[in-house]
Amino acid sequence: MITQDTTEDQSEVSRMGEAHAYDVLVVGGGATGAGVLRDLARRGLRTLLVERGDYGTGTTGRYHGLLHSGGRYVAKDALAARECISENRILRRIAPASIEDTGGFFVATPNDPDDYVAGFQAACIAADVDCEEIPVAEALRREPALNPRIRRVFKLPDGSVEPWQLIESNIADARVHGSDAWSYQRLVGMERDGSRIVAATLRDERSGSVTRITPRFVVSCAGAWSGQIAAMVNVTVTMHPGKGTMLIFNQRMTDTVINRCHKSSDGDIMVPVHTVAILGTTEQRVEDPDRYEITREEVAALIAQGEVLFPDLAKMRLLRAYAGVRPLYQPPAEVTAAALKDGRQISRAHTVLDHGAMDGVENFVTIVGGKLTTFRRMAEDTVDMVCGKLGVTEPCTTADEILPGQVPGKTYWLGHRLADHEAEGGGDAALLCECEFVTRPQLDAFLDRHPDASLDDVRRGTRVGMGPCQGGFCTFRAAGVVGERAGHAGATDVAEQADRAILGFLRERFKGTRPIAAGRQLQEQWMISGVYEGGLGVESLIEHETPEASREVVGAQR
Amino acid sequence: MPSADVVVIGAGLAGLTAAIAAAESGAHVVVLAKGHAATHWGPGGIDVAGIPAASTPRDGIRLLAGQPGHPYGFLGDDVAAALDWLRPHLADGGVDYVGDLDTPLQAVPTSIGGTRRAAILPAGQAAALSPWSPGERLVVCGIAGFKDFWPEAIAASLSRERIWQGGSRPASVTPISVALPGLAARHNLNALEIARRFDDPAWRATAIAALARALAAVPGSGGRVALPAVLGIRDHAAVLAAVQEHLPAAPFEMPLVPPSVPGMRLYAALRAALIRAGGRVQIGEMIERVERDGRRVTAVTAAAAARMYTVRTGALVLATGGIAGGGLVAERDGRLMEVVLGLPVEAPPVNEWLALDAFDPAGHPLEKAGIRTDTELRPVGADGVPVFDNVRVAGSLLAGQRYIGERCGDGVALSSGRRAARSLTAVPAGHAAKPGSKRP
Ligand SMILES: Cc1cc2nc3c(=O)[nH]c(=O)nc-3n(C[C@H](O)[C@H](O)[C@H](O)COP(=O)(O)OP(=O)(O)OC[C@H]3O[C@@H](n4cnc5c(N)ncnc54)[C@H](O)[C@@H]3O)c2cc1C
Ligand SMILES: Cc1cc2nc3c(=O)[nH]c(=O)nc-3n(C[C@H](O)[C@H](O)[C@H](O)COP(=O)(O)OP(=O)(O)OC[C@H]3O[C@@H](n4cnc5c(N)ncnc54)[C@H](O)[C@@H]3O)c2cc1C
Repeated sequence: MITQDTTEDQSEVSRMGEAHAYDVLVVGGGATGAGVLRDLARRGLRTLLVERGDYGTGTTGRYHGLLHSGGRYVAKDALAARECISENRILRRIAPASIEDTGGFFVATPNDPDDYVAGFQAACIAADVDCEEIPVAEALRREPALNPRIRRVFKLPDGSVEPWQLIESNIADARVHGSDAWSYQRLVGMERDGSRIVAATLRDERSGSVTRITPRFVVSCAGAWSGQIAAMVNVTVTMHPGKGTMLIFNQRMTDTVINRCHKSSDGDIMVPVHTVAILGTTEQRVEDPDRYEITREEVAALIAQGEVLFPDLAKMRLLRAYAGVRPLYQPPAEVTAAALKDGRQISRAHTVLDHGAMDGVENFVTIVGGKLTTFRRMAEDTVDMVCGKLGVTEPCTTADEILPGQVPGKTYWLGHRLADHEAEGGGDAALLCECEFVTRPQLDAFLDRHPDASLDDVRRGTRVGMGPCQGGFCTFRAAGVVGERAGHAGATDVAEQADRAILGFLRERFKGTRPIAAGRQLQEQWMISGVYEGGLGVESLIEHETPEASREVVGAQR
Repeated sequence: MPSADVVVIGAGLAGLTAAIAAAESGAHVVVLAKGHAATHWGPGGIDVAGIPAASTPRDGIRLLAGQPGHPYGFLGDDVAAALDWLRPHLADGGVDYVGDLDTPLQAVPTSIGGTRRAAILPAGQAAALSPWSPGERLVVCGIAGFKDFWPEAIAASLSRERIWQGGSRPASVTPISVALPGLAARHNLNALEIARRFDDPAWRATAIAALARALAAVPGSGGRVALPAVLGIRDHAAVLAAVQEHLPAAPFEMPLVPPSVPGMRLYAALRAALIRAGGRVQIGEMIERVERDGRRVTAVTAAAAARMYTVRTGALVLATGGIAGGGLVAERDGRLMEVVLGLPVEAPPVNEWLALDAFDPAGHPLEKAGIRTDTELRPVGADGVPVFDNVRVAGSLLAGQRYIGERCGDGVALSSGRRAARSLTAVPAGHAAKPGSKRP
């Protein structure tokens, strides 16, 4: 890590000093937390966001990548559908660089019931979701890998959305407005004095040092972990963590988001994301959002479902499997056997829990449920409640102002990296990551903007290592660049950081391959371990298991 | 139709060793391979048994031979002879190997800033093998603009005591980076390109002068200098001699991420030895079909770019590598297939293939999957009875070893390759010794 602070003690003192001045503490650095932080900051409340890991390492970094049009919810949950389409339009305006405007097809396969298909368009119109039926032949011309036996196709404004840049630009906007965010700071406890939270304790996950802060208000945006946060002040929030598994294929067999036109089920959406495509998802209740496994059976079932959309799917190369946990909330009154059996029965729409009214803790709210697509709206509803309680009357402006680092109307497209690369001199601009076209100047620019970025941040921030080779060579190059810069800056823990990056990459890659180990991907896994273990002696970098590593979840990241 | 006494499938260490040995005994040998082998990915040394518990390769062989089902159980005693036999062939091809079965395994530094245990290395890496004397320094010297070797990161890592696995270590590790003529402005250099430049005597002289100047500017004297493994490809011996002569510290090459230049030199030397012995290698041949007559293979058909190619053959050596080489393929349903003959594969059940942690010290049970043979390397079924008479299996396709994790893949490849050839070309009692007419 390249630290900005010269000494640990100084940083502690300055943080303590600042900390007393925060109005609001936001817990959780996913999309929701980042959106809440931005909104609070813009309404003039000095806010601190804390995240236990890197930003976007919760559900936001392990989701499917779909900017919902709302089409998926029109039949069951019209409220959710309405929110999706309205936020979809707003996000295209305020965060275009995080969105690829792929468009979406809802296709009726021979397996899908006629009555659902027949009512689909009307349901869309009723929920204000744009929906146009197009000839099957036209859809097949655009997406030739689709099942040729599909019967009807509807075109909707779905898209693909990149979460890390979205979080980053929300935090950047909050900083412009006088607020801040700290990563690797875990909320470990809160002190309650009667009806108020009076202090919160944070632990630095890297150094172990502890900070106590005294915000006027606490907002929990901890997603599937919300129950754990509430429990710190003896409040019960019953979450219903629902694991969803996704498969990454090494090719974009479709340039359009494909949904099956039926009642939502497993393996019925394919989302093109940069150079790959992701099939999802599943739904399975898990007890602990930090511990779950992906099984080969689950993978086989997903592929079988996906083949209904793409008949050749089984022959396509799988890069990895990963899973995320849905932050589904279980309202106390509605604990029904049906909801327990099928997580999909619970509304995807969000709820702001007013712990003053519900539990007698005046300065505490939790936001639960929702989707990535609606994170801004979730933040607005949450902040409206907080402002009401704090007597702040500033209106919400997050839907109107474009986010920093975004250019109006300029969504990204598959060729943008190549185009940027050509603009920088083409063939001879030092390419560090061949799959995703990340150059040395781009990496330097990122590191200039984020001087204390970890190599994991680099991965999320630049997509180094996320393409078809899955980081085989570029992770080590990125570690080399960070080492070179840190060496020049006189930093001391360069080697430890490189160890973490290289071992972390190999572990992450292994986890993603484990449930899908077969064919070319297994061969590649063997060659990569041959290179790193056989030839380069990577095992000599392993010190001994840190508590960090043993806490790691089994499900892999995107 | 072309014909051969022995067709070898696979152009790795195992296949080429078998082919050289068979050709030397007078057989007409053809090697067919779909592509280049682990040589092009690996560090170019000869790993016999680099396990943590072993003090020397010989000790490692003994330890591995004691594991139930390990190929060293019946091949271990062959390794020394195979190595002695191969060494002059490699030297003729321009790569001298240093170290033998009794050389202590030493923690040799690598280009990710780690160490690996090795004892038998090509001359270019040999200076890394001797223990570090007190006060001895190491300079890590990179080439400006080359993105697969990062001296600062390597030096920072190697400065830590724990990396040296308890052995001796340099007193200091200093990174430097040198701009070489005509390369500084280039951004996407690969190792092979730089190695080819070193083959050019004129360029080499100016480059080595630049390296020598930069090293002279580093405080301190003597010691060793680690360079990326790019010191020539065709003319490596001359490059190495010049570098040893002109640099003020003992140079050694650090192997890099693929493509591996030391591995390519090893491959070139093996190939040259085979051609000298009268054999032939064809790369780009994917085996499509094998004809058989009862328990004998009679012909092999390969598909190349635009044609099918069939060779009649008296015998077959299967050296297609394991999962890494492509000789074994895992199906999504959990079956493991041997791709050429559909031989029975010994493998753990699918739910036990992989441990939970990538770096589980016990390794992954799937690593030991492969083909079980008798001591003559004939593939056998579950009952231990050979399923083919004129087929031999060699190299990392053999069951019971962790060819990467135990760093025994090269030793198993050499000993099994040579034994496979000898078993096929041995003259059965009472038969005439005319090559080409044998029916092994
Ligand atoms: C399989 C799957 C697929 C999905 N697909 C889509 C989709 O295609 N489109 C869509 O719009 N939505 C999708 N969603 C929903 C969407 O991903 C989530 O609703 C959204 O990402 C939730 O964001 P969040 O910020 O609320 O939660 P998270 O991203 O989980 O953020 C919570 C954060 O809190 C942190 N935290 C926890 N405890 C502490 C602590 N003690 N101290 C500090 N920090 C803490 C966690 O580390 C985490 O980063 C999907 C969800 C799943 C599971
Ligand atoms: C990246 C890597 C690093 C390694 N590092 C080490 C190390 O440090 N130490 C160590 O001891 N061992 C290491 N190993 C293992 C070791 O290199 C091998 O086990 C050893 O060299 C023997 O290889 P082989 O000849 O049996 O097979 P390989 O080298 O795998 O060769 C297989 C050959 O078969 C061909 N082939 C496969 N299928 C077909 C087909 N259907 N038709 C035609 N041709 C086919 C391939 O193209 C290739 O030419 C490493 C392996 C790899 C992959």
